[in-house]
Amino acid sequence: MPSDRQNDTDFVRPVRRLLIGVLALVFFAIFVVWRIDSPRVERFRSAVVDAVVPNMDWAMAPVTRVARMIEDFRSYARIYEQNQELRRELQQMRAWREAALQLEQRNAQLLDMAQVRLDPQLTHVTGVVMADAGSPFRQSVLINVGARDGIVDGWAVMDGLGLAGRIAGVGQRSSRVILLSDSNSRVPVIVQPSGQRALVSGDNSAFPLLDFVEAPGELRPGDRIVSASDGGVFPPGLLVGEMMQDADGRLRVRLAADYGRLDFLRVLRSRPAEVIAETGELLRPVSDSGVPLDPRTGLPYGQLEPEVSETVTDTVAPVPALPVPGAPDE
Amino acid sequence: MNEFLRLDTLIHLALWLAIALIAMLIPLLPLYRPDDAWPQPEWFLALTFAWLLRRPAHLPYAAIGLVFLIQDLFLMRPPGLWAMLVMIGAEFLRRRQSMVREMNTLMEWGLVTGVLVAIWLANRLALVIVMTPRPPLDLSLVQLVGTVLTYPVVVVFVQSVLRIRKPATGELDELGRKL
Repeated sequence: MPSDRQNDTDFVRPVRRLLIGVLALVFFAIFVVWRIDSPRVERFRSAVVDAVVPNMDWAMAPVTRVARMIEDFRSYARIYEQNQELRRELQQMRAWREAALQLEQRNAQLLDMAQVRLDPQLTHVTGVVMADAGSPFRQSVLINVGARDGIVDGWAVMDGLGLAGRIAGVGQRSSRVILLSDSNSRVPVIVQPSGQRALVSGDNSAFPLLDFVEAPGELRPGDRIVSASDGGVFPPGLLVGEMMQDADGRLRVRLAADYGRLDFLRVLRSRPAEVIAETGELLRPVSDSGVPLDPRTGLPYGQLEPEVSETVTDTVAPVPALPVPGAPDE
Repeated sequence: MNEFLRLDTLIHLALWLAIALIAMLIPLLPLYRPDDAWPQPEWFLALTFAWLLRRPAHLPYAAIGLVFLIQDLFLMRPPGLWAMLVMIGAEFLRRRQSMVREMNTLMEWGLVTGVLVAIWLANRLALVIVMTPRPPLDLSLVQLVGTVLTYPVVVVFVQSVLRIRKPATGELDELGRKL
């Protein structure tokens, strides 16, 4: 056992060295196993976190509460400025509300016209944030829903407004959400007005980078960024944030999700989109032997009458540009 | 063995474990996220080294290893590697404790800095060799420098608040043996 005395008995030292060596080897073995079979060890890690963190509420709750109270109290100091600011914002919001209402009506009309059916499978589970990642290099949070609630790895997580991250690691009662700002996070997105595809890649800062943009010249700061379904990672069309340019001229994303107060997060249940694996068959019928068939005749190509296209154009009735009221019907 | 089981040693070990718990809980608490802030220094590692160089008997190597292994698990580091390196660094310092006793704080600081840099390098190297994703180099260098700079502060804390000092020449323990 450890001792700082000089009068150690002779046999203690070598035995101690041996034990330290063994323990170091054990640690190294854990590391190597983690490297070789990462999912298993990560599952073990999430099981440990799962067992401990929900039981630490007694320690977490009071400290969090006090810290929030202090934060709220600080805001009293600036109450007058805030009031002015809020009034001003309210004025702006009224204008926006009017615009939004009009747009909503218009949108409803258009959706009705197009008979769009919104994805009914996009339901969500809401969880409460329990703990932070704890490391300066990891931007993730723990939420209190897990495999028990049907959470699956990879599902998208939103706060009230925008995409916050995705599930990475599920325990029985808790799961870990990797935030978009984590340096391991890469999310395919579409930049809205120009429709360009890009990748939001976290770099540990509050404003993740926008990578792999095809034509950065077409983007303007303030462009809306929504998620894309590339790679089947996310449901498409979730608001991610808006584009901005930092002092170096690099494109970054101001996230819509408010990472300052992550209290409740909703996990979107997403089903993988259907994948079209084959190229031709969807459009073109194929016979049993694999010969492509003409969809109109049901015969293999080559036995096609050459004058089909001409007959089609002839049979189309001429449509009058405007129906004239009172005109004689044909 | 009975040396380890003395009440004084056990109390100090418990105190160290409590500090370890706090060191682990603070970053876990969902208070605020220092987004653009620089990574915080690993003050608990500095405290462990400072403590070890004053009263090595309080901190058995197994406790150091296990505590850092648990921290690895909770703080999302690759499990085992950092714990192993910290334990080896701690043993290196423990071996040199009789030497450090005669040093002034500046030289002790230099020695500890050497150990911190060495385990940081070894950690980095191991992660490169097995090709795991590493934290950004600049941020983790900032953290290392921060840890080195907090060491004197931690030493002051350990000496004045926790009252753990280097044994003076001729100081005796309760059993009347020389420290």
